[in-house]
Amino acid sequence: MNPTRRRARAGRWFIAPNLAAVAVFMAFPLAFSLYMSVQRWDLFSPPTFVGAANFRDLLTDDPLFGIAVRNTTVFTVGTVVPTVLISLAVAGLLNRTIRGIGLFRAIAFLPLAVSSVVIAVVWQFVLNTDSGLLNIMLGWFGITPVPWLTEPHWAMASLCLVSVWKSVPFATVILLAAMQGVPESLHEAARIDGAGEVRRFVSITVPMVRGALWFVVVISVINAFQAFDLVYVLTGSSGGPETGTYVLAIMLFQHAFAFLDFGYASALAWVMFAVLLTLTIVQLRLSRRNAMDQ
Amino acid sequence: MASVTFDSVTRRYPGADRPALDALNLSIDDGEFMVLVGPSGCGKTTTLRMLAGLEPVDAGRIHIGSTDVTETDPGARDLAMVFQNYALYPHMTVAQNMGFALKVAKVPKAEIRTRVLEAAQLLGLQAHLQRRPKDLSGGERQRVAMGRAIVRRPQVFLMDEPLSNLDAMLRVQTRNQIAELQRRLGITTVYVTHDQVEAMTMGDRVAVLRDGVLQQCAPPRELYRKPANVFVAGFIGSPAMNLFTVPVVDGAVSVGGYALALPPEISAAAAELTVGIRPEQLQIADRGIGVEVEFVEELGADTYLYGRTVDRPAPQSVVARVPGGTEIQRRSRLSLHLDAADLHFFTTDGARLG
Amino acid sequence: MTARTGRPVRHRIGRLLGVYAGLAGVAACALFPILWALSGSLKRQAEISQPMLFPAHPQWSNYLDVFARMPFWRMLFNTVLYAGCVTAGQVFFCSLAGYAFARLPFTGRDTLFVLYLATLMVPLTVTVIPQFILMRVFGWTDTMWAMIIPGLFGSAFGTYLMRQFFATLPVDLEEAAILDGCSPWQVYWRILLPHAKPAVMVLAVLTWINVWNDFLWPLLMIQRKSIATLTLGLVWMQGEYVAEWPVLMAASMLMLAPLIVIYAVAQRAFINGIAATGFGGR
Repeated sequence: MNPTRRRARAGRWFIAPNLAAVAVFMAFPLAFSLYMSVQRWDLFSPPTFVGAANFRDLLTDDPLFGIAVRNTTVFTVGTVVPTVLISLAVAGLLNRTIRGIGLFRAIAFLPLAVSSVVIAVVWQFVLNTDSGLLNIMLGWFGITPVPWLTEPHWAMASLCLVSVWKSVPFATVILLAAMQGVPESLHEAARIDGAGEVRRFVSITVPMVRGALWFVVVISVINAFQAFDLVYVLTGSSGGPETGTYVLAIMLFQHAFAFLDFGYASALAWVMFAVLLTLTIVQLRLSRRNAMDQ
Repeated sequence: MASVTFDSVTRRYPGADRPALDALNLSIDDGEFMVLVGPSGCGKTTTLRMLAGLEPVDAGRIHIGSTDVTETDPGARDLAMVFQNYALYPHMTVAQNMGFALKVAKVPKAEIRTRVLEAAQLLGLQAHLQRRPKDLSGGERQRVAMGRAIVRRPQVFLMDEPLSNLDAMLRVQTRNQIAELQRRLGITTVYVTHDQVEAMTMGDRVAVLRDGVLQQCAPPRELYRKPANVFVAGFIGSPAMNLFTVPVVDGAVSVGGYALALPPEISAAAAELTVGIRPEQLQIADRGIGVEVEFVEELGADTYLYGRTVDRPAPQSVVARVPGGTEIQRRSRLSLHLDAADLHFFTTDGARLG
Repeated sequence: MTARTGRPVRHRIGRLLGVYAGLAGVAACALFPILWALSGSLKRQAEISQPMLFPAHPQWSNYLDVFARMPFWRMLFNTVLYAGCVTAGQVFFCSLAGYAFARLPFTGRDTLFVLYLATLMVPLTVTVIPQFILMRVFGWTDTMWAMIIPGLFGSAFGTYLMRQFFATLPVDLEEAAILDGCSPWQVYWRILLPHAKPAVMVLAVLTWINVWNDFLWPLLMIQRKSIATLTLGLVWMQGEYVAEWPVLMAASMLMLAPLIVIYAVAQRAFINGIAATGFGGR
């Protein structure tokens, strides 16, 4: 066998286990999920074909769907916008070589290593109405305790707060890396042109990291849209006080694993997929047009 | 008044054994084109950057006009700089690049437009104003960098090897354009280069630096005719000046078997000298320095001879430039004649005598 | 602009102080929940609403309580087992496949790779239900196989990462080895893998952290305490001992500690991984 054939054969063997795993655990589920979305199935009785009924019920007949969509949208916007703004500022602050900067960076990135579960439990303590740190501090200023996790609107606000706290380090890592790629000579030229530090940040640094910014936005939207761990542990498995934090991922979990309505849940999953795909494509289009000069 | 004065300016990088710039004293007149030249590491770029405010000054003061700018922010010094790699803002158009500093200074939009157009016309950039740097050629980008500096009408222009990224032909063309532009605008210019041809052709005066120390600052002609030390003598002029280290015997020195009489004040000064003569000042004749030719480069208009003197036991290298067309064989022996007035004398430490 | 040089700026010191103040603020925001949890873990139940950082009599017993109420060591062992197996498997199989995709000429290679990339786009929500059913079909629910096997042979993401990395290595390395008579396996094992340390580190750290912090999958798969992970254990505790904050905080701290150690040690690899791939932080 000639060498090329031998290498090709080795190639096939090398990818075989990996390919098998991807096929079994990714490709097959993808197809099977689509199949399930047009069935009614609860695992114990055989599935019955219902065509587009699941989708119809979901989109027109289910009040909870509307609530979940609204909550997910509020949560996504309420997470992504502050995350982007804050992480821009933090990255700008961390983008210098003064003494001790390494330590500050290490601390700022620390939340990356912490799991959503631990974050949620810890913040539950911080946000506790009677004994949480936040209400204690507000008490110093004479403000009455806020029902952070017990009142629906505040619960959503708290969820966004915690989600931002968790997402900023991640976004900062990416933005900082991009900022460090901006050539020093550009900053020097801007200094000679008379631009102060803030001016340089706004007119030079931020435009130069546009690509990374869009990337952060896209990834943050994808993550926020599907957020589950944080919501479940912070505000409970039924979507918080009076469905205040009832987001799409919770709805999916409920229908699939509490009600065992797999067909319906699969239909929901595909609707989420479609929305997410559209959002991502739109964002990519926008970013391409915006960053055409980079 | 936009003169520039360096007063014992020193810069030492942490951990370095010698200062990058050691007590530089230099004064540049208003409207003068001053070239800083020297091999890499000599401190010329450091000097420029200290003048720009991009490097801190460890000792000494810098003045622009009568104002002490040693502690001033770069943006407040009223100077403009052309960087070696141009440092154009990639996300802005040519017009925006050129107008940026004016925008920062809150100059009214109409005036920005006028001044940008004016500079663009001066440099032939009118057609490119709405384009982005990535769509321009190297030469065009260089002109935009110049335009950005001109638009500001600063007190001083700083240029950091602006021609080094251009190809050879473009370099000659642009060299002349820059010199012409500076003459027209009359703005004090400090220009850094490692190329002594640029230095000689562009500067009103040239400051030669080596290892952080100023060797000589003089008009090009004087650098050529009266180099202050051996380093300057060897740096200026291409090919480099021939330098022979010889003992003084009876008021004369002998190179390649040829006796050169010394003026009395020189022969009295030392027992050993370095004697210099430029390759272009040697001619083939019947009597002169005995040389054995090792190889010949024929360039058409000129021919360069590389060889060794016939001195034993230590022959010294010789380079001579003779008119093209002269037939020379390798391994032939010749005599090279010179005019005593063209000789340069240096002590063995390198300092000029006479 | 006419001549107006001068205006020496003396507030350079002021600016620097402002920067440090800002940095301190950022550090405080990042740290305060964790510090508050730490201080809560050392207080008595009655003291938890008092704002001091360190109580007069630190109750280390809270930590002992954690071990009494939850099989912590067992769960730690389980989590390490799952994370370790999956990480080792990912690193091995993904680098092998990554090498194949980068350098070995088998038919359909590039199309297959594009399909791989396509699967990256599919959100977790779509695949989790079928994966759940698959586990039931295999009979792996409530066993450790469900935690190990799905990730053991690698993933599309890991293969993508390794393939991108291998593509940047100079071809000469391989060609020299091939000329020396190495088989593809030997080229991979002897030559390329040793050179792939940075990418391997990144993949290993990212995988470990993701498995360690995983919540949804253990939630779906595991009922028995004996094979449960730490995340699951913490949430169970949260449900069982509602509002017993000191113990809950102690448990959180215990869960946090190993990861902080890994973070401190492998910080560079971790950050590079996130910066280069944009994954992480689930």
